[in-house]
Amino acid sequence: MKKSFCFIILIGFLNSCDDLEGPYIDDTFVINGNGKNVLIEDFTAHRCSNCPNAAREIEAIHDVYGSKIISLAIHAGFQFAYPYDTTIAVNPDQKFTYDFRTIWGAEIDTKFGLSAGGLPNGMINRIDWTENGGDHRKDFSQWASITADELDKEVQFGININSTLVSGDTINITIDTEALTSLSGNYKLVVCLSENNIINWQTDGTYEDSDYVHSHVLRSLLTTSWGDDLTSASIYNGDIFNHTYSIDLSDLEDNNIQNSLNMNQGNGNAGGWDANNLYVIAYVYDVSNYEILQVEEKSLLTK
Amino acid sequence: MKKQALTILLILCSFKLAAQNSEIHGDFSLNLQSYIEDETINATAADEVVLNNAFLNLIYSSNNFTVGLRYESYLNALLDYDSEFKGNGIPYRYATYSIDGLEITAGNFYEQFGSGLIFRSYEEKGLGIDNAMDGVRLKYRIGKGISLKSFIGKSRTFFTYADGIFRGIDGEVDVNETFGLENQTKYILGGSFISRYEQRSNPKFIIPQNVAAYAGRLNILNGGWNYYGEYAYKINDPINSLQEREMNYASGSAFTNSITYSQRGFGVTAEIHRADNMLLLSERDRIGKAYIMNYIPTLSKPHAYTLLAIYPCATQAMGELGVQLDLFYKFKKGTLLGGKYGTKINLNLSRINALDSIGNSMLHDNIDHTPALLSFDEELYFSDINLEINKKVNKKVKYNAVFAHQKYNKDFLEGKTPGEYGTLSSTIGIIDLSYKIKKGHTIRIETQALFAKEIDSVSKKQEGDWIMALAEYTISPNWFFAIQDMYNYGNEDESKRLHYMNINFGFLKGATRFEIGYGKKREGIFCVGGVCKVVPSSNGLNLSITSSF
Repeated sequence: MKKSFCFIILIGFLNSCDDLEGPYIDDTFVINGNGKNVLIEDFTAHRCSNCPNAAREIEAIHDVYGSKIISLAIHAGFQFAYPYDTTIAVNPDQKFTYDFRTIWGAEIDTKFGLSAGGLPNGMINRIDWTENGGDHRKDFSQWASITADELDKEVQFGININSTLVSGDTINITIDTEALTSLSGNYKLVVCLSENNIINWQTDGTYEDSDYVHSHVLRSLLTTSWGDDLTSASIYNGDIFNHTYSIDLSDLEDNNIQNSLNMNQGNGNAGGWDANNLYVIAYVYDVSNYEILQVEEKSLLTK
Repeated sequence: MKKQALTILLILCSFKLAAQNSEIHGDFSLNLQSYIEDETINATAADEVVLNNAFLNLIYSSNNFTVGLRYESYLNALLDYDSEFKGNGIPYRYATYSIDGLEITAGNFYEQFGSGLIFRSYEEKGLGIDNAMDGVRLKYRIGKGISLKSFIGKSRTFFTYADGIFRGIDGEVDVNETFGLENQTKYILGGSFISRYEQRSNPKFIIPQNVAAYAGRLNILNGGWNYYGEYAYKINDPINSLQEREMNYASGSAFTNSITYSQRGFGVTAEIHRADNMLLLSERDRIGKAYIMNYIPTLSKPHAYTLLAIYPCATQAMGELGVQLDLFYKFKKGTLLGGKYGTKINLNLSRINALDSIGNSMLHDNIDHTPALLSFDEELYFSDINLEINKKVNKKVKYNAVFAHQKYNKDFLEGKTPGEYGTLSSTIGIIDLSYKIKKGHTIRIETQALFAKEIDSVSKKQEGDWIMALAEYTISPNWFFAIQDMYNYGNEDESKRLHYMNINFGFLKGATRFEIGYGKKREGIFCVGGVCKVVPSSNGLNLSITSSF
């Protein structure tokens, strides 16, 4: 009798299923904000057929949370990211000839094992990283809910980006990082450039789209992949740390072309940057666990 | 740390409980592989040079009490394993006792309801799958012919557990036994229910936190006849996206039906199954086989011969319709076709296609699509017609011959862009000949050939034709030696007309087996029961040791 009772208890557990009816859109959700932004690093490739699903997810997240969501499309991996041959005889339609990869993207991808886990794949503020684990790799359908959780976290830094056109292609970029709380530990600042609105080939499901709009594409890092020290001193609430970077866009672009030639199956077709579509992204992360604590984005040329 | 503490406790416990009728047994497996770079086959070297998977199962049982654990070591995992298997640990430990028809398990356990349409927790080392449950399970034999089992737990993913909490119950009634019927026809009825709870929020769409699936099954046996049918249903289970096109609120369903007739020397099975939107994951927003918690049994014959299995059929839980006919006949001894020892033949036909041109059931605020229930005129995924003849010619010679014709929709089954590879059509012939030289000494020669034909106009170069030969010398019961070569002589890319040579040497003693091999492995798809993984190409030495006590 006692045993039958055990089963009755279990049946009670099972009396639980949420069979829903439309409309499925929930317009009652309230978005809170406290100044914290979130960086979604989307590891992608132009010949990865499922990758546009992840890019659309980012746009959908952006539609909900607006400028609090900052993203980087990092083209990486051995299988789908390398460009096709530019020889007309071999590739008459000139499909997928552009090389979106960068040496920094490759380095970050190798460190965190993103493309090795299958594309598309991403990191949200690089949370959940451990030396042996894979929890930091997030499938795109996880991104929205994790982003929501990240936005609720306490904000520890404020970042202010300023860029000034000095002459020609030379631009000065200053990053002011303000500590909003006192902190111990080591923190680093990473600054990079991304480009929007690049029209080029992309496999989208079963369709090879020659006019796909590539957004938030990582172009260059102004620091190393692992950043510059925010400070060597202790951090107190209200401290402001200033970093300045002077860049020459032509040099950076040439650098990418050269890097492409040096990469596996690269073809040097990595130029054609449009300064009007470039953005500066700056983020601060905790060295102990790589978690990104704050990120900010600004158009490179003030519009 | 907690796990280690529990383990020590279990071991201590087991020694303390040592009593009459108690025993300790277990098994060990080690699989070590070196990886060297080989650009010709696109094989990469491992930074570690050598990778190793190993495990040890240890089980102590005493009367109606059992405790067990499995130590696993991935230093680091072989390249065809998910890299998240990393490090050492004891991810599997349990204690079970039985009393008065009730069996209680605490800790890890594997479980399957029916044929697995709504729930299957299992391990398959060959695929790198282990979705063991961690929780509590009760099995109870209520009375004559009635048994119940139920559980609550979380499923393993690598060295951790998925977010979803599963609750399940399954009951089975042997109608004849329960009601004391003495008719020739035997009926077994079963039903199962699964519910997964997973807390998820979404700012744009409503999310069912509790997702249920249920299934009913019927088995009728009468003499040589055996019918098995199962139907399963799953309620709305969208992923957790902010894109409407990704949010599918449609329910899922699957059925499988098979009827078999068998008598001495003859057997026939006809089967049909259909799955529509029937993927149940341990976390709704994850991708990858480590999270799959149900199983749609495959409908194609599992082939062991290499060239029959290089284009295998992966079951599509999201949508497929398939049929299979399997016929077995033995020509009797002394007949024209039977000869002195008799001849066995096995004819197998299977065909699997899409549900319809749009795809699986789809439902959200702007779409409501339900595919046709039975439509066989849709995109072909896989078909296989094969005939196997098994014959003993005399006391020394026996052979197995197989002729097959397969169609394999490579673009769909391997997730390629349509038009890259299209559907491969291949005709395969195999002769497997054994010759007993003297007592304990046998040589076996396999020759295989695969002739490929392009059906569609495609953009990528095809692998084309293959031949393979294998020679294996066995000195029973202790030794074997094998050498084999696969040659892709028909590859459209001349630089890929390569040999994949392998040599293997094995030694068996009692319950221990050593095998050492060296050679190249081709990049490909490997499946067990319709569940598949991608195997990267490799070149190197491998050592495997298995042992049990």
